[in-house]
Formats: sequence, C-alpha cells, structure tokens
Amino acid sequence: MKYLLLISVFVIATCGLVYELVAGTLASSLLGDSVTQFSIIIGVYLFSMGIGSFISKYIRKHLIPTFIRIELLIGLVGGFSSSILFVLFEYIEAFQSLLYGLVTLTGLLVGLEIPILMRILKDQFDFRDLVSNIFTFDYIGALLASLLFPLLLMPRLGLIRTSLLFGILNVLVAIAAVYVFDAEIRRKTMLRFSAVVSLTLLIIGMVFAGNILSYSEKISYQNSIVYAKSSPYQRIVLTRKGERFRLFLNGNLQFDSQDEYRYHEALVHPGLAAQDSPRKVLVLGGGDGLAVREILRYPSIEQIDLVDLDPLVTDLFTNRASLSLLNQKALTAPKVSVFNADAFTWLRENKTQYDFVVVDFPDPVNFSVGKLYTLRFYRELKTHIAPGGGMVVQSTSPYVAPKSFWCVDQTLRETGFRTVPYHCYVPSFGEWGFILAHDQTWIPPDKYPENLRFISPETVRQLVHFPPDMIARGLECNRLNNQVLVQYFEEEWSKYE
Amino acid sequence: MSERKKFSRKKFLKWGLAGLGVVGGLTFFSGIFADRKRIIPGEIMGGNAEIGHLLREAIRADVVEELEYDIVVVGGGVAGLSAAWELKRRGVRNLILLDLDDKVGGNAVSGESNGSRYPWGAHYLPLPNLDNRDLLNLLEEFGCLTGYQNGLPEYEELYLCHAPQERLLIHGLWQEGLVPKVGAGEVEQAEIARFFDFVQGLKGRLGSDGKPLFTIPLDGSSSDARWRLLDQMTFSDWLSKEGYASRYLLWYLNYCCRDDYGGTLETTSAWAGLHYFASRNGLAANAAPNSVLTWPEGNGWLVNRFYMALKDFIRTRSLVFSISEQSDQVLVRTLDTQTKEVAEIKAKKVIFAGPQFLRKYLMAKSGRKNGLDLSCFSYVPWVVANVHLSKRPAGIGRPLSWDNVAYGSDSLGYIVADHQLLGQRSETVITWYKALTEGKPADERKAAQSRTYSEWQETVVKDLEWMHPGIRSDIKRLDVWIWGHGMIRPEPGFITGEDRRLAAEPVGRVHFAHTDLSGISIFEEAFSQGLRAAREVLEEGIV
Repeated sequence: MKYLLLISVFVIATCGLVYELVAGTLASSLLGDSVTQFSIIIGVYLFSMGIGSFISKYIRKHLIPTFIRIELLIGLVGGFSSSILFVLFEYIEAFQSLLYGLVTLTGLLVGLEIPILMRILKDQFDFRDLVSNIFTFDYIGALLASLLFPLLLMPRLGLIRTSLLFGILNVLVAIAAVYVFDAEIRRKTMLRFSAVVSLTLLIIGMVFAGNILSYSEKISYQNSIVYAKSSPYQRIVLTRKGERFRLFLNGNLQFDSQDEYRYHEALVHPGLAAQDSPRKVLVLGGGDGLAVREILRYPSIEQIDLVDLDPLVTDLFTNRASLSLLNQKALTAPKVSVFNADAFTWLRENKTQYDFVVVDFPDPVNFSVGKLYTLRFYRELKTHIAPGGGMVVQSTSPYVAPKSFWCVDQTLRETGFRTVPYHCYVPSFGEWGFILAHDQTWIPPDKYPENLRFISPETVRQLVHFPPDMIARGLECNRLNNQVLVQYFEEEWSKYE
Repeated sequence: MSERKKFSRKKFLKWGLAGLGVVGGLTFFSGIFADRKRIIPGEIMGGNAEIGHLLREAIRADVVEELEYDIVVVGGGVAGLSAAWELKRRGVRNLILLDLDDKVGGNAVSGESNGSRYPWGAHYLPLPNLDNRDLLNLLEEFGCLTGYQNGLPEYEELYLCHAPQERLLIHGLWQEGLVPKVGAGEVEQAEIARFFDFVQGLKGRLGSDGKPLFTIPLDGSSSDARWRLLDQMTFSDWLSKEGYASRYLLWYLNYCCRDDYGGTLETTSAWAGLHYFASRNGLAANAAPNSVLTWPEGNGWLVNRFYMALKDFIRTRSLVFSISEQSDQVLVRTLDTQTKEVAEIKAKKVIFAGPQFLRKYLMAKSGRKNGLDLSCFSYVPWVVANVHLSKRPAGIGRPLSWDNVAYGSDSLGYIVADHQLLGQRSETVITWYKALTEGKPADERKAAQSRTYSEWQETVVKDLEWMHPGIRSDIKRLDVWIWGHGMIRPEPGFITGEDRRLAAEPVGRVHFAHTDLSGISIFEEAFSQGLRAAREVLEEGIV
C-alpha cells in the first residue's frame, strides 16, 4: 500500500507539471510571445500551488475523502483545460482572464494534494522517510513530465489529448485511493460514483478529441490574427489563413489576398488604360499599395503620389515581408512617394495636377470619412486633374447600397464630371461598384497591360451594364452640410447585415 | 477542537477581511488622491479688472499726444467694425477706430493656441434673409457667398455648418436635433408641431403697415399695434395663454431664450421670443433653409476679415475715457493701456459703438439727453469656457456634433471648435457656454466676478461630466472668460419702449451704434447698427 501511494505521488507530480506545460504551450501558441507567456504561466502556477499548500492546513477532517475529491477535480479541470481554452479562444474577449483562472485553479488543487497526502501518510512512515520519499518521487515525476511532454506527448497526442490523458491518470489515482482506503472511508458510494462519472467524461473527451481539435482549429485558423493594432484613426487587424491574408479596418474587410486582384484591376485599369501614356498618378487612400502595384504596370508612369491618413497602415505594407510581397514592394518603388495626411487637407495644400486619380477610401461609414465623398471634396480634387485626365472612385456595393452608390454618382456629376459607373464581382466583397469621372467622354480602352487576370476589353463591356436591382434614382447631392451619403449608407448596410 | 476550529476560521475570516479592506481602501484613496492631484491648468481671461484703476490714472494724466481725424469710431466690436467698414467703403480715409482690448472683435473675439482656433463668444451666423442685401454683399465680399443660382445665394460649403449639426442628451441618449424627441408622447409631439406650424406661418407675414411682422434687422419689423402688444408680456405668459404646456416644448423654448437672449421664458418679451423663430427666412441654393454659417474661430472669422480690410485705421489697447462736445468738434480722450499715455483726438464726428451703459461715464454732457433713462438697458453676464481635450467626447446615440446640449442642464452645452476643419484628429477644443440668467443681472455679475478660477473650473467640469462621465481625465486645459455685460436682454417693454429709440438718436456730433440699440445681441443687428450710424454721419456730411 505504501508503494501504491508513492506511485500515486509520482503520477500526481507528473500530471501537475504536464498541466503547467500544456497551459504555457497553449498560451504562447495562441497569444504569441512565448517567453512572456511561459514565464507568467509558471509564476502564476507556482504561486497558486503555494496558496493551495497554505489552505491545506485549514482542512482538518476527512482527509482521505478530501484527497480523493481533489484528485477527481484536478483530473477534470486539468484534463479539460486545453479543450476549453481552445474552443473559447475565438469567442471570449477576456481570454487571458480565463487562462489565468484555469491555471490558478489547477495550481491551487495541485498545491493542496501533496500536503494532504503527507498528512495521510504520516502514520505509515517515519517523518524523515516520508519527506524524503515524497519529494524524491515528486521531482522524478517532474523530470519525466518535462521529458515526455516535448518528445512524445506533444508530437504524438497533441495538447488536447495530452491533458485529457493526464486527467484520466489523476482520476485513476483517485480510484486507487478509494480501494486502498476502503476501510477508512464512510460514504464510499458517492465517491465511487463521482470517480466513474469523471473517468467516463474524460474517456469520452479522448474519443472525441479529434472533433474538438478540428472544431477549434477551424474557428481559430480561419481568423488567426497575425497583426492587430489601434492607430489614432482606426483598428487595424490582419488575419492569415495559410497564404491568404485579409485586412480589416474597424472590422470592415478591406481586401482578401485571394481575390483582391479582381478589385484592384477593376479599380485601376478601365480608367488608367484609357489615358494616353499617363505620367503622374495620385492615389488617395489605398495604403495597402495594391492599387499602386497595378499602376506600376504602365511604363509611361513617372510619378505616383499616395496619400493615406494612417502611417501604421503604410508602414505595415512597406515593412512586412509577406505583405510587401503581396503589393510587389509597390510602396518602396522609386516612382512612389507616400504621404501620411488627410486627403482633403493635403489636396488644399498641394497644387500638382495628375493625369489620373485613384480614390480608394474606406466606405462612408461615418461623418469624418463622409467628408471625402462630398461635392466640396470633388471640386477640390477636380483642380488637381490635368486637362484630359480622369479619376476613379470606389463607391461601395451598388447591390447592397444602390442609393449610396448613385449618390456618389450624382455628387460627381454635380461637380461637373461626366461619369461612367461600373461594377464587378469580388467573391469576398460581393458585387462592388466604381465610378469613372472625366471632363470628356470616356472611351473604353481596347488594350490593357499584359498578364491581367480579370480585366479585358470584353470584361469591361459587361461591367458597365447595370441590372435593375442595382439602380436607384432621385438622390441628393452629398455635401459637407448634409452628409446624406452617410445616412444612405447606414440605412442600406444595416438592413443588409 | 470544535472551539478551536471556529476560532481559527474566524481569525482567517478576520485577516482576510482586513486584507481586503486595506487593498480596497488603498485603491479608493489612491483614486481620490489621483483625482485631487491632477490639476487642470487654465485661467480666467478677458474682463479688464484694472479698468477702474486705469480710469483714475487717466483722468489725472497730462495729454501727451494730439491727433485729428474726421471720424473717430469708439469700440471695435462688430457694430464699430461695420461702421468703419462702411465709412471706408464710401471713401472716408481720415478715420480711426479705437478699441480697449488687444484685439478687435468684442463679443465675437476668438482665441488660438497650439494650432487650434476657437471662439470666445459669438460663433455662428444664420443664413441671412434674402432682403438683407447689405449683409449678403458683405458675405460675398468676404468670399463666403460664392454666387447666385436661380436667385438663391450659393455659399462656400466649407463655411456652412457641416453635418452632424446638433444633438441633445436626453434620458441617457444623444438624439438628433435640439427639440426633445426621445420619450415625447403624442400630446407633446402634437403641441411641439403646433408651435412650429404657428411660427412657420408668421414667417414673411405682413402687418397692417405692409412690413413683415418679424424680420432682421429688427427695426424693419412691422409696427402693427396688435403684434407690438406682445412686447408688453413675457414669453411665458404668452405661451400659457396660448395653451402651451408641454414640458419638452417649454424646456426647448427656455433654452432658446437663454441661448439667444440671455433670458428665461419669464424675463423675455413674447415679441422677442417669437422674433427668434419667425424672423429668419434665409435660403440658399446649396443648403437647407435653417442652416448656419460657422467657422472654427466662430464669428472671429468675420471679425478677422473686417480687421484685414481696416487694419490701417485701427488703434487697439486704447481706453477712451472721455468724449466731450465743443462747438465745432468733439474731443475724444484715450489712454494707451500699455504706455499709460493720454492722447486727445479732435474729431468732426464720433460714432460711439460701445454699450449704452458706458455713456454716463464717458460723456459728461452728451451722455444726458432729455427724458432718456438708461436703467432699462439690462445686460446679462455670460461665462464661456474653452476646454482642450485629449480625446473627442462620444456618447450613446448620435455621434459628436457641432452643437451638443444636455436636456435639463442650466448650461447651454458646448460646440466643437474644430467641427468645420477637414481631416481627422483625436484632440479637440470644445467651447462651453452659460448665460447667468438665474438672478438679477447685477447680482449675477457681481457673483460671477467674485468667483475664483477653480470654482468656475469645477462648474464647467461638473456640467461636462454630466454629459460625459470620466471626461475630467481627458481635459488638458480649461480657460474661462467672464463676460460681465455679456449682452443686452429683450425684457418685456424694452424693444417697443421709448428709451431704446431715444438712445439711438445722435447727440450733436456723436452717433450711436450697438446691438443694445436693437435689443437683441446678434451679428446681423450689430452690422446693421454700424451701417446705420455710418450712413447717418455720411448723410449729414463731415463738417
């Protein structure tokens, strides 16, 4: 019996360290920064064990049943900890609180078990032997766990199965204790029943571990956030799934690398290819450099000025290897100058005229972005377009928000432009709209740069056609003093979502 | 055993509680301490407290400079600037405008720091009525009115108040517009609609003499006795006589009285109350009928345009302390508030564009006029605070707007000074207003001037915290301006009264121009008063 108990010390110790390692690995894989995560997890865990040991002195009676209950609890909490954390990671905001809560709870329970076990065994051993044996087995268990975990458990079983397996071991210790101390426990049935239920739950967990894993991976992989930061202007989130990137500004999708070529080819080429050897191009918004990448396909281009409000966005797309690969290092090209400024203010302070202007602002989701879609703004912009030049404006979805789309068209026409609205299908966005604005009539180009994947003379012929469900009429002109566009936009998108 | 266990549990509990107490206490006190420790910098601006002292000095001083001008304009508020502007436009060059402060502008003065501009007083101009040709021409000259389309003026979009314009905090929610809507029942809504239908019907309506019942400038309004009688009663009495009892409507109308007239429903004449709603009929080709023109520095923008046109004729820091009429000229004595030197200016004509209450101090003889009683000129004190914030205030409901008001507050809320600026920014300056309407103007004035900066700061911050809990920690600076004689108040009987008419009449070679001669303190009236005085002078000829 003595040996049985010592074996259980060994098992308990192994389990305890495994839970700690599981939590550390999980935290660093989900939250990044492994040094910090491991260090904090270890600290919190050891501290909680200390609290557990401290509390143990207030447990005075029924030591054996208490010990068994603690073992069962550790088995359940430790066993299911990684499943819970994986599944909830995507759903709860205070993930770190949950993580540290679970770590604290496990640590507390683990801290309780050794002192209680020592008190149970104090009559069976000489005190000198007891302390020596318990700590010997404790540390051997720890060594075993720290070797097993990276070499065998993680590669073979993965985090979810590892923690479940050690949960089962904890429960087995409890069951063994029920038998060993059979004579000394009074209400055995209840304990036995709890033990069987815990064991069953954990075994079920083991069986379905594959499902838990694939479920949690599905949700987390889809949205694995590789960059999230708030600038003074917006919340920038970049997600990655394999080679596929998505950029969100204030929660609104800006592009999906899988199909952004459709959007950016449609944005740039119908207008730019119609220009006779364009030299100077201005891009407003579009800090991702993807429109610039398309503009750089024209050998006649000498100067591209990009004005984007947020230095955080342009820096991200200049300095991150994976992202500058996406825009083919467009933002560091010698022809390109990047200005971080508000477009309206910048235009009022600069007098350069351009052959073509690409207006790629976020949708008019609020009054401050809405200012960049007003008559006053387009009037300012018009003075920056060289004679014979033109511009294109991304104008939200004419399918979801026809009033908004045609309001932009109306405003451009009141500015004195001739407009050509067109739209294309971008799978991640849906049906998306653009408006060309010129002083003269736009003649569809019959030639485009080589190697385009979407835009061609045939495609463009289709893009300018609008079916009835994408048409709205009788809209007001958007002005600084009415900002009707923001109202149309809010009304239409809130209905859609 | 059982005793011991109880004891130890108790002890454990006790220590635990004590520990919690200590932690909680520390947090609590550190919170208070942190709040106490955070001192918001700022000061009380304006209000020349040493004027009394300067005046005594001036009277004793010898004249060290003698000057001669055809026309002297005393006072560089909008009325004085308008008079000088008209005189210059009509070819007068031998002209000087004297102003006490460092900068001209009077109530429309503005401030600037760290690249932010903000008003210290008047901050907007409603679209002028189409028959107010003088004002439309002025705006055209200032580049604010860009042309006409089908007979309607087109304004520079940058200067038209941008959307979103107004929001009201009511029942914890920011709603659009200032007329309370949230929680208004059908009866209230119907009453509100009835009032607005009524005043809408008054717009452009003509009296028995063929003049509009209510118009701007106010003196162009009809003298139809039936309507003029409304000036004899308070707005409050008129409203109850007409059966208006909606709490929301009355709050809103009281707010309007405080905002435009510095009075309450009980101290404002019913005629003036209706004038506010029925006199404005401005239209634009590119804006809604009720639009306003505004700038980051408020009406300081207009003042600066005047200043650019007149700067060769302006002398600031100039305290006029005596205007005395001789047989063939007027002697104006003025003290340079910096050098403390006195100049005597001989003028053929003087336009006194200061408030009437100063007449008795400045004009020994001309100040008195048979039967004129200046005691009915009632001036309300105002407090304006410019609050520099590190973060733009938000709230539940409508987003931050140009004008932000809280239902039930005794302040007038705040406007966002950079609302008209383009580009996104996180920092901002908000301008908070309050008309001290509670007690008698003289008592309120005295009380306001005796309060310390910290007391005023607390008043402003408390009011803002009511609208935006926690805003205190975003305040980087808070300056306060006390306007002792903020503006004239149209109390019952004043507008139709004889004294107002008498006060506007020239005394010898001295002519008068100020909004207190209109009875309502708005840019349009100041401008019109200035033009009137200038034209009187020109008509008489400068001899």
